Amino acid sequence: MIEVKNLTKRFGPYTAVDDVSFQVGKGEIFGLLGPNGAGKTTTIRCLLTLIKPTSGEARISGIDVLRNPQQVRQLCGYVPQDVSVDGDLTGYENLLLYAKLYYVPSAVRKKRIQEALEFMELTDRANSLVKTYSGGMMRRLEIGQVLVNQPQVLFLDEPSIGLDPVAKRVIWDYVIRLRDEFDTTILLTTHDMLEADELCDRIAIMNLGKIAVTGSPEQLKAGLGGDVVSVSTSEADCGTVLRQLGYQLLSQSGDGVCDLVVTHGDQEIPRILEELKHHGIMTKSVSLKQATLDDVFLQYAGKRIGDSETDWRSTRMMRRTLRRLGQ
Amino acid sequence: MTTARLVTSVFTITEFELRKVFHDPSQIFIRAIQPLLWLVVFGEVFAKVRVLPTTSYSYLQFLTPGVLAQSVIFMAIFFGITLVWERDLGLLHKLLSTPAPRYSIIIGKTFAAGVRSIFQAILVFVLALIIRVQLNMDPISILGVLFVIVLSGMCFSSLSIFLASLLKTRERMMGIGQAITMPLFFASSAIYPIDLMPDWLKIVARVNPLSYVVDALRALLVTGDFSHLPTDLGVLVLAVVILVGLATLSFRRIID
Repeated sequence: MIEVKNLTKRFGPYTAVDDVSFQVGKGEIFGLLGPNGAGKTTTIRCLLTLIKPTSGEARISGIDVLRNPQQVRQLCGYVPQDVSVDGDLTGYENLLLYAKLYYVPSAVRKKRIQEALEFMELTDRANSLVKTYSGGMMRRLEIGQVLVNQPQVLFLDEPSIGLDPVAKRVIWDYVIRLRDEFDTTILLTTHDMLEADELCDRIAIMNLGKIAVTGSPEQLKAGLGGDVVSVSTSEADCGTVLRQLGYQLLSQSGDGVCDLVVTHGDQEIPRILEELKHHGIMTKSVSLKQATLDDVFLQYAGKRIGDSETDWRSTRMMRRTLRRLGQ
Repeated sequence: MTTARLVTSVFTITEFELRKVFHDPSQIFIRAIQPLLWLVVFGEVFAKVRVLPTTSYSYLQFLTPGVLAQSVIFMAIFFGITLVWERDLGLLHKLLSTPAPRYSIIIGKTFAAGVRSIFQAILVFVLALIIRVQLNMDPISILGVLFVIVLSGMCFSSLSIFLASLLKTRERMMGIGQAITMPLFFASSAIYPIDLMPDWLKIVARVNPLSYVVDALRALLVTGDFSHLPTDLGVLVLAVVILVGLATLSFRRIID
C-alpha cells in the first residue's frame, strides 16, 4: 500500500529525513517510533504531499506522490498531532466540512457523518461547539473527520499524545477496530513505546532522520538477545568490570547502575553477583525485566526515548487550551 | 468534473467561515465601534469646521463611503492572522491534506472575508441612517456597493494572506497590519479629496487600491456620477486576480 524509496528531505543545511525506505502492506498498522525531531512527522508530510521531498520517491496504492498529489490526497486521511478540529464549529459541522472537501457524494454524506459519529461515540454531542469538548473527545472527532472519506490509508501523527491513560486506551481500541472493520492501512508515528508495542504490527525505529531498524515488536525485542538485568552497585565504574567479563552492556549511568542483556536472566543473576563480589564490588540491588522497545531503541540510538515526553504533552495541552478559549 | 470540484471547495470553505460568524455574531457588533467613532466624532467635528471642500455635498456624505471602505479594509488586512493561527494549531495542515486544490482554499478564504464585509456594510448603512446622512439607497446602488465591498474584502485579505506566508508569525502580522493600514487610509480619498494632496502624495493615492474602492462607493452612494466606475472596478478586479495569485503561490511557505 505504501512504498517509500530513499526519501530525503532537507531544510537548508538540516537533514530532517535521511534516505528512508520502507513498505507497508494493506491492512497493516505500521509505526514510526522515535523521539522528538527524529523526522517522523516530516516523513508523513512528504507522503501526504504537504511538502516536497528533496529526493527519493514514494507511492501510495501505486500512485506516485510527486506526480499525482491530488489523487493521493483523495485516498488518504491525515490526523495531525496538533489540534485539527475547529472549536468555533459544532462536531457535526466539522465532519460536514471534511465530507464536502473530500467530495463525498451528497447522497451518502449524511449517512457517512452519522456513521463516523457513531463509530467515535460522539452522536449525543454532535451539535455542541467543539471548544466545549474534552481532549479525548476532540481527538476522537479528529479521527472521525477523516473517516467520512473512508480512507484506504490513514496517517496518524502521535494519535494519543497528551491524553490520559484511559483516553489513550480508548483511541487505541478505535485504531484497531478501524483496521479490523475496514481493512484500513494505518501509518502512525509515536514516541510512546507502549503504544507502538500494543498497536503496531511492524515498527521502524527512527532516529536523527534515519531508520535504524524495522521489524515486528516481538522480532525487535527478541533481536536484543534476551532479558535485561539491571544491577545497582556501590562502584561507579561497574560497567567497565562487567564489560571485561564479557557481558553486553545496554547502558551505564555514572552512579553505578548498569543494564545488561543476557540470554537467560534468571540463571545468569547468581553468576553476575558472584563475579561482582569477586571484583570487590558491593551490589545494592538487582532486577530482571523483559526487554521492551525502549531497550531496543536504546541499543540503536544510544539514548532513551521517553526523555522529551513531558514537553510534547504540555505543547499539545497548551494548544488545546488556546483553541478552547477561542481566538 | 474539475470545475465542479473547484466550485464545491470554494463554497465549502466560504460556508464554514460564515457559519463561524453565525456561532458568534458579537464580533460583527464589536467591529462597528470604529466606524461609529469615525462618523460620529471625526465626521461631525470636521463637518462643523467646514475646512474641506467637498463641492455640493455635506462632509458626512463625503466621508461615509470612505469610512465604509476603511472598515472593510481594516478587517481584511488582519485576515492573515487567522491563517497563521490555524497553521499554529494544526487546522491548516489537515485542510491542505484534503484533495481540495490549494487555490480553491485561498479563493474560498478570501471570498469568505469578502462576504463577511457585507455585515460591515450593513452596519455602516444603519449608522448612516441613524445620524441622517443622505445616501442613494436604491436597489441598484446597494447591489453595486455590496459587489465593490466583496471585491475589496477579497483584495485586501489576499494581500494579508500573501504577507502572512512571508512573515509567518502573529506578532509580525499585527505589526505589519498596523504599519500599512494608516498610510493606506490617509493616502487615499477616504477622508479628504485627492486634489488637496501635495503632488507626491497624489501619486501614492493613484496606485492605492483603496482610492478606487472609495471612488466607486462614493459614485454609487453619493454623486451618482458613474464615469469613473469602469476604471475603478477594472483596477479592483485586476488587483484581486493578482493578489489571489500571489497568495496562492506563496501560500505553501506558510506551512514550511
